Order: sequence, then structure tokens, then C-alpha cells
Amino acid sequence: MIVSDEVSRREGWTNEVFQDLQVKAELGRYRIRGFSTFQRIAHFDDIIFIPRYISGKGVELRPADVSTETVLGTRYAKNAISISTPVYITGMSYGALSRSAKTALAKGAAKVGTATCTGDGGMLTEERKYSTTMIYQVNASRYGVTPQDMISGDAVEVVVGQGAKPATGGLLMGQKVSAIIAKKRELPPGIDQRSPTRHPDWLGPDDLGIFIEMLREVTDWRVPVQVKIPACRVKDDVKLAAKAGADGIVIDGMQAGTGASSEVVLDHSGIPTLPGIVLAREALEELGLLKKVYLVASGGIRNGIDAAKAIALGADAVAIGQAAIIALNCNRELPGITDFVREVGVPAGYCTKCHTGKCPVGITTQDPRLEKRLAIDEAAVRVASLLSSMTLEMKLITCALGKRNVHDLTVDDLSALNVEASMMAKVPMVGSGGTLLKSAGKGK
Amino acid sequence: MTKRLAGNVPKALSAPVSQGYSIDARKLTTRLLNASIKSGVSKGRHITILNPDARHNLAVGIVKRCSLSFAGSVGYYCCAFCDGISATIEGNSGWGLGDNLMSGSIVIRQDAGASVGASMRGGQILVWGNAGARAGISMKGGTLVIAGNSGFLTGFMMQRGRIIVMGGVGDAAGDSMYEGIVYVGGEIGSLGVDAKTESATRSEEVELRAFLKALKFRDDILPRRFKKIVSAKRLYQYDSLEPLERERLVI
Repeated sequence: MIVSDEVSRREGWTNEVFQDLQVKAELGRYRIRGFSTFQRIAHFDDIIFIPRYISGKGVELRPADVSTETVLGTRYAKNAISISTPVYITGMSYGALSRSAKTALAKGAAKVGTATCTGDGGMLTEERKYSTTMIYQVNASRYGVTPQDMISGDAVEVVVGQGAKPATGGLLMGQKVSAIIAKKRELPPGIDQRSPTRHPDWLGPDDLGIFIEMLREVTDWRVPVQVKIPACRVKDDVKLAAKAGADGIVIDGMQAGTGASSEVVLDHSGIPTLPGIVLAREALEELGLLKKVYLVASGGIRNGIDAAKAIALGADAVAIGQAAIIALNCNRELPGITDFVREVGVPAGYCTKCHTGKCPVGITTQDPRLEKRLAIDEAAVRVASLLSSMTLEMKLITCALGKRNVHDLTVDDLSALNVEASMMAKVPMVGSGGTLLKSAGKGK
Repeated sequence: MTKRLAGNVPKALSAPVSQGYSIDARKLTTRLLNASIKSGVSKGRHITILNPDARHNLAVGIVKRCSLSFAGSVGYYCCAFCDGISATIEGNSGWGLGDNLMSGSIVIRQDAGASVGASMRGGQILVWGNAGARAGISMKGGTLVIAGNSGFLTGFMMQRGRIIVMGGVGDAAGDSMYEGIVYVGGEIGSLGVDAKTESATRSEEVELRAFLKALKFRDDILPRRFKKIVSAKRLYQYDSLEPLERERLVI
């Protein structure tokens, strides 16, 4: 009998590694799953806010005194995006998600006056109908992309890639390519769909500049055009996208989620969200474009404190995906309705089976019987409540720091709890008075 | 290279200029030029754009039935994201001509750059010269006709529709295509991943010839036989469920 002490001394050879090898010995290919990276990496929990007492202004503030109004896209667009909170819902495709899930997200975001984003599967009529601010994605695959839908959007997002799976395209497994999804994407039903990695009509930065101008002409220079970049060679990519004329940059770190990806890229490619934000901020500073080109951070943002830390590090807004999905009921056992162990083989709380299309709670499925388990209006209320909670958390920490606007948070308000986070986020290690690395920028 | 066939263009494809008016592109910024085009087409008149001078992003995002002609060459993304456009280009084009075309017709009398008809979903694009790399990439419907040769990765990740190349195609033709057909009159440089060739059936040949003749291609310049590139469908399924997942998914 193997005792736990012996297992813990095996270093890299854990029981999970044994199981992984056994599965692959049978499977003959890389493994695919949903959710996010399982790597232990420095994240928002590794940095903290440091309020001031006697050294501060001594102002007594309440959360209600704090503003979270956010305006994005004042560089070239006639109509900038104006949202009540710097938290919006990121692009997730209709296909990866059910129609009910997409509708609930749109309704929930609209209740609190923030934005939603379409995804790599075209726009749903319901999405446009219920979203007060809708960002229209232009992905490499161009599934379901039409000029009419793009023109109806409040912003356009050119997706260069996803932080969860950099340099690979999207996957939608055959179980989810239903007749309706196949029609929407113009694909044969039931096939394992692989999205391309590169766009069909532009390859490098010069082409991107012309492509962005084209999108502006299509939308009559009315709406902002943002570019979503997976955090990899952040400084180069952010500078090139900003120089190509983007109104905003979305930097998507490796803790970002996905409906399906190979574990290889989920766990072993891209860089974490913390240094992603910092490098993007520095890139814009070096170009003299900080605050002229807006910066959105995404990838593993779970609550208002994560969002506030991202803003303090240099973001103007954050986008959430998995957090919003969890508000819809992801990984929640519904008594009398779901049975996670029987249906997907793992208990609620451990499910990463989005790619199988058998989501017990009706979110990442195209099966009408499962989708019925998601009550749209109730789910929308939960999404709205989560967004309100996150906004209040941001307000609370902002007033605790003696500030009246969440956008006034800066890197000076942060310290790191460990050396790793200190170096990645370029903020001082608590108690040390400094960081081992000097940030190239001055912060906000 | 296949000979240019520009002299063979049917006159009926462009409306008489007397019904419309012309705009001199040299006098306007791209923004003003496109605004003028959109304003003109909303009145239902034919517009001739003089001196386009290979300018990028001309006549993009027009979602109305309209008739346009360009008296010269155009740059990248000409007539991109349009629905219902009928356009003739007298010269050459840069990348992405007719990008994401929903419906309508685009005729280019000389050569098209890379990615002509990228992700087009419907309508028809007729290239009287040669096409660059990635012609019909990610194509989702409609017909792309290339009278000359077509470059590398023709029909890459094509999903639907058909591409008819009267001349030859370059390397990696039909790479990773899902559905749709690439007809090739000349030589195939090489096939891409998961692409295979088939002979066009007699009824397909008859239909193709009738279609091309309707476009005023002379009988004597039509290829004697067309080869057909289609998906081998080996990439359709890659067994996405693991054994344990298959066992436990009982619904």
C-alpha cells in the first residue's frame, strides 16, 4: 500500500501524472479539456493593496462615493463605449455556449449597464436585442460574420488569439456542432471544428493597420476598434497593434478560460496575466499612448479585488469569462435536476468537461434537454448580481485607499507577497521596500 | 502563365456610365470618398470612381444593391464586407478583394492580389487575370472564378462554395478544406493536407462549361478537362472524447 507521504516525495511523478500517462498510452494523441490552466503561477492573490493611514489624506469615504464609470475608445471613434463599471463580459462563442447562456449573459450585463462581447461563432439576435453595449468580434475563422451584424455593434474586436491557447485556433468538438451551429458556421454538422490560427486576409502589422482602417470604414468611424492579444511577446504585439491604429488593446493572460483546448497549450504556452498587464502598460507608455489607447485585462479575473488590482497595474477595464459562467451555475449541483458524477464522471466543483457538450447545467452544450436546465431570467439576475458585487468590491477597496475613482488606483497602491509576484508585477515586495526589477514605466 | 483574357469581358457586366456619375478619388480622402460612394449608392445611381490609384479600403461595408466601377487599380480590401454590390475593377487589386462578400458580383479585369474572396459567403467574383496566394481562403459560399492561374494555398480551409481556376494552382491547394470544390483547368502544384483530387463528372463538366460560357468565355479557351479538389475528410473527426469520458457520458 502506498502511503500519502511516499506519494508526496515522488516530486513530478504524482498520481495525476501516472493517470495522464495511462490515458495517453491508450489515446495516442494529446489530451483536450475545457476551463483554464492548472499551473500554479503568480496571480492576483500574490499582490495586495497597501492603504495609508497617518501618511494619507485622512478622508473618510464610503463605497457610494467612489465612481466606476468607464469610457473606452476616445482615440478615433465617434462614439466611445461608456459603461457603468470597468468589468464587462468577454467574448464566448455561441456554439461553445448555449443560446440560453449567451442570452442570460446579455441580459445580465445590460441590467448593470456594462458590455458583452459576441465570440467566435457570430452574433445571436437575442444578444444584440438585450445587450446595451455589444462588442462585435472579428475572429480568424469569420464564422457567422456579416457586415450588418458588425455595423450593429457598439465596438469591433479583432481577435489575434486567446490567452488560454495562444497560437492555436478554437476547437469545437463534434458533439457541439449541432445542425443549428453547423448552419450558423457554414460547416458540416457533427465534425470536430478547428478554427484557423491566422486571419485569412491579414498577416503582419502593416496589413493589420489597413485592416483596422477597413473596419472603421465599414462602421463609418462610429465605434472603437480594439485588438485582443494573447499575452506572449506582449511588448512587441501591443506596440504593433497600437501603432496599427487600435483604439484599445485587450491583453489576455494564460489564466484565461476556454471551452476546449489541448492541455499542451493551456498549461505550457503564453505568459500569466500579471506580467501581461504590466508589459502592455509599459509598451503603451513607451509609445506615449498610455490612456490614449485603452487597455483591457483578461485572464483569470475572479472578483472585484482581482479587477481592482488589474486596474491599479494599468488596465482601464477588465473582461470576465469563467467568472460569469460560474454565476450562470457552472459546476453547481442542482438538487433533483443534475447528477454530475453520473453525467460527466466528476463531482460538481471539479468539472472541466465543457468540450464534451454534456454540460449538466445547460451552459456549454447544444443539447436542448440540457439547455432547458438553465433558466435564462434567473441566470441573468445572478450575472447582474455578480457584476454588482464585483463593482462594490472595487469601490470598497478604492475608498479604503482614500480615492474617489477606481481609475485612480495605481501601482503605488500595491505590494507583492512573494518574490515571484514582485518580479512579474514589478511592485515592491512587502517589507523589502523595493523590487528586484525596475519597471520601465512610471505607472499612471 | 495563362494568357490574359481581358479582351473577353462582356460589356453587359458594367452599366452605362450615362446612368450615373463619376467621383475623382484623387480629390478626396478615403473617408470622404467612401462616404460619397455610400451616399451615391443610396440614391440608386451607378458610380464610376476615377483615379483609384491602388487606394486601400474603397467601397467597403456597402449593404445595398448598387453598381460601381473603378477606372484603374485598387488596393487592399476593395468591396470588402459588402452585400448586394455589383462592381467592376478595370485594373489590378491588392489583398482581400471582395472579402466576406455576402451577395452580388465583382469583376476584376486584371490580376487580384492575395486572399481574393477571403471568407466570402455568397455572390460571385470573376478574376480575368491571375490571383495571388490564398484565393478563396476560408470561403463559405458563392463562386470565385479565376481565368488565369491561382497561387499558393488556394481554397485553404474552404467551407463551402466553389472555386473555378481555368489555369493552374500553386502548392498546398485545398489545404484543410471542409467542403466546397476547387475546379482546376491546368496543373496542380501540390495538394494540401487532407485534400484529394477527383475527376469532374460529365454532368459537372457540362454545367461548368455552360456556366463559363454564360460569362462569355470562348469555347476555344476553356480547358479540355477540369480536375476537382475536394476534402478527403480525414480531419473531420479526431476522436475528441477519451475512453473514460465516453463511458460516463450517459445522457
